[in-house]
Amino acid sequence: MRRDLVVRYAPFTLSLIVGAALWEIGGRYTSAAFLVPLSETLVRLEQLVQSGELVRQTLSSLALFFVGLGLAALVGAPAGLALARWPALRRALDLYIMILYATPMVALIPFILSLMGFGFAPKVLVVFLFAVFPILYNTVEGARSLKPELIEVARSFRSSEWALWRDVVMPYTLPFAMTGLRQAIGRALVGMIAAEFFLSSTGLGQLIMTASQNFDTGGLFAAILVIVVLGVGLMRLGRAIELHYARWRV
Amino acid sequence: MTITGIAGEAEAGHISVRGLTKRYGDLTVFSKIDLTVRAREIVALVGPSGCGKTTLLRCIDGLLPADGEISIDGKRVTEPPEGVAVVFQHFGLFPWKTVYDNVAYGLRMAGVDAAEIARRVPNFIGLVGLTGFEKAYPYQMSGGMQQRCGLARALAIEPSVLLMDEPFAAVDAQTREILQFELLRIWERRPTTMVFVTHSIEEAVLMGDRVVVLQGRPSHIDQDIDIDLPRPRSRETLSDPRFAELRERVWANLMNEARRAEFQLGA
Ligand SMILES: Nc1ncnc2c1ncn2[C@@H]1O[C@H](COP(=O)(O)OP(=O)(O)OP(=O)(O)O)[C@@H](O)[C@H]1O
Ligand SMILES: [Mg+2]
Repeated sequence: MRRDLVVRYAPFTLSLIVGAALWEIGGRYTSAAFLVPLSETLVRLEQLVQSGELVRQTLSSLALFFVGLGLAALVGAPAGLALARWPALRRALDLYIMILYATPMVALIPFILSLMGFGFAPKVLVVFLFAVFPILYNTVEGARSLKPELIEVARSFRSSEWALWRDVVMPYTLPFAMTGLRQAIGRALVGMIAAEFFLSSTGLGQLIMTASQNFDTGGLFAAILVIVVLGVGLMRLGRAIELHYARWRV
Repeated sequence: MTITGIAGEAEAGHISVRGLTKRYGDLTVFSKIDLTVRAREIVALVGPSGCGKTTLLRCIDGLLPADGEISIDGKRVTEPPEGVAVVFQHFGLFPWKTVYDNVAYGLRMAGVDAAEIARRVPNFIGLVGLTGFEKAYPYQMSGGMQQRCGLARALAIEPSVLLMDEPFAAVDAQTREILQFELLRIWERRPTTMVFVTHSIEEAVLMGDRVVVLQGRPSHIDQDIDIDLPRPRSRETLSDPRFAELRERVWANLMNEARRAEFQLGA
């Protein structure tokens, strides 16, 4: 058991150590305007934590992230079900959805800025737009893949329309929506930073901006480090949620 | 094993099919089918693959529109009627539900209260030999186990009409025998009308009060053979000389048709 764990995590640990060492060495032999060693980054990180600045900005970013992502899920999943259920609606809106899905959302930010100005709402809208399409798209495709035989079984047992949704359509579609949610997490993170860069500057995005303007390379990397850890953690969470709901899917 | 609601069953479950024709575009699956199944009667339906057995069951359950008339207990069938349960050829289990929840499904749809569901479901799971698998998901079970789960789900609502589409096709020979006799026992205790589709002639003769042969293109009811074997039927029935006789009759009938079809193809 112990041995197994060692064998299992050895490559990971080793690559982590090598990566840290390369960062440390690289930082020492390059200009501080470009890269600072890991040790210095960690010292700066410690300072930012101590001052309360980092926690405050992280919470601000996370609020933006979760409100935007939550709204995307609340809108995307029901809209996806509706589009799957009513083909006419799907045919009517397909083109717009395609266009919005294909458009690099960053391109819309100036438009959102002129429309809604600065503040929390326009930033939430950016995160929402980044996140909603994977959820919508996966929900539609998922719900459409429900086998007609199972709907027939429900009809045979005299299911009401509402019971058909509650017992068949929604539980079947849930894992697909969760796949969408996992994909949306990655996009919402990008949306979060983009919104904090280009709209009113707050959160981790602001931390990066000020650090870079002040040539505070240590602060810059400290903020990036936090974003990376958050990103990996949230992606892991998304993956776990997805797997949890996909148990019955083979 | 106790089954609820045994006492004095009503005469419910009279099926009447009149002049039924089903078309899919240019394909006429069957035409002008007349079939009467009396209450508590078991009709075994046999016929070559693709002759429309499943289609006929779906029509009787009101799942599929067709020309002609179907009524159950005098009521015209336009949508799935109350008291009719189907065992599907494709099992039709909900993959996200456990065995328990699959078996409970029909009861929940029928509005049976939770206490009653909790009482009945384990009975029917036991009846098909799935005790211990209550929490299993369909993908964790063999085809035969899934089929038995589908059978339990249909039996659980204690229907007056059971439409069974090759209910034992996916189980092994021994389990098949066990389930055949189990089903006959269930029927003795609580006789229901059954239309029983099978590819096995032995099974058709063993189960049926009549064996109805569906064949031709488009298919029609080619033979309607009375099976006058005494009930209750059991393993002994299999060694009854009359059983062998009837089995040969049904077999010869199907073979004749198969040969005719072959000659037509050859010509
Ligand atoms: N939805 C459909 N659209 C078009 N044709 C169909 C459809 N469903 C069934 N058919 C055709 O109807 C015919 C009868 O099919 P059915 O499934 O009733 O046969 P079956 O007797 O149950 O066969 P098997 O013994 O293989 O189960 C077949 O030729 C099939 O191709
Ligand atoms: Mg069939």
